[in-house]
Amino acid sequence: MKGFKFTAWLSTAILCFLFWLLLTWSFAPRELILGGIVSVVVAAFASRFLIHSSPFYLYNPVRIVLLLFYCLIIFFWEVIKANVSMAKLVLSPKLSYQPGILRIPADPKLKSRYGLAMVSNCITLTPGTITLETAQDEEGQNYYYVHWIDVAETDRDKAGDAIKGTMERWIGRIWK
Amino acid sequence: MEVVDIVATVLMAIGLFFAFIGTLGILRLPDVFGRLQASTCIASMGTIFVVLSGIVYVVAHGMSGSVVVKLVFILLFVLGTNPVSNHALCKGAYRSAKPNPEPIIDDYKEDDPQ
Repeated sequence: MKGFKFTAWLSTAILCFLFWLLLTWSFAPRELILGGIVSVVVAAFASRFLIHSSPFYLYNPVRIVLLLFYCLIIFFWEVIKANVSMAKLVLSPKLSYQPGILRIPADPKLKSRYGLAMVSNCITLTPGTITLETAQDEEGQNYYYVHWIDVAETDRDKAGDAIKGTMERWIGRIWK
Repeated sequence: MEVVDIVATVLMAIGLFFAFIGTLGILRLPDVFGRLQASTCIASMGTIFVVLSGIVYVVAHGMSGSVVVKLVFILLFVLGTNPVSNHALCKGAYRSAKPNPEPIIDDYKEDDPQ
């Protein structure tokens, strides 16, 4: 099989097995054996799509705690703020807003593809902003093209701070 | 009615309110981009608070932990798939739909990173 790596296969199999345990919620031997067989077979096919580099990167307790903290506190708070401003826009009687598509620079320390994908998905999940594309220029600097429904700031760097908030800094601590 | 029931009801009401906002936005806003933006309200805030309400109810009434895990998985899958489809729809709309009102700034057309 092309691109098959044993460590990637093992990492995916562990992830599938944990998922199986959480879904079945039972420790009966029959379930465990069946789950083990299924996860090993599935991981053999799926590992090369899921893992691209350093398979055991996220199995670090510090990173898992950071990820949970990010999802439960930082991201939740950003979603609430964005939803309230979206509710104000929708409920305002005049309905006047200025949409625009901005190129905002990514944090140069954030190199990982997973990290960039996570930041752009989080930007899309906060109402009012949708990521159209991520692109890279010749010097290796990454950019997001973001559709913003109510452009409050046309300067790219300041707009980036306003859109990303604290999300990118926290994701930069999880993914290098 | 116990306190936990009231908490679950309030959380459900917040979620439904934001789902209502999203629906109203889809009806009121004039073009594809605005409607996509408004519909994110339903997927983010609506789903999060409805699932939170379900978790509070399930924990308070002493049901099995597997129900909580399944609720969390519903939340994770909605939050994981919604941005992907939203991004694809928005990019497709950018190529074919006419924006209304016109964007005041459009870096994507200038740079053309295709």
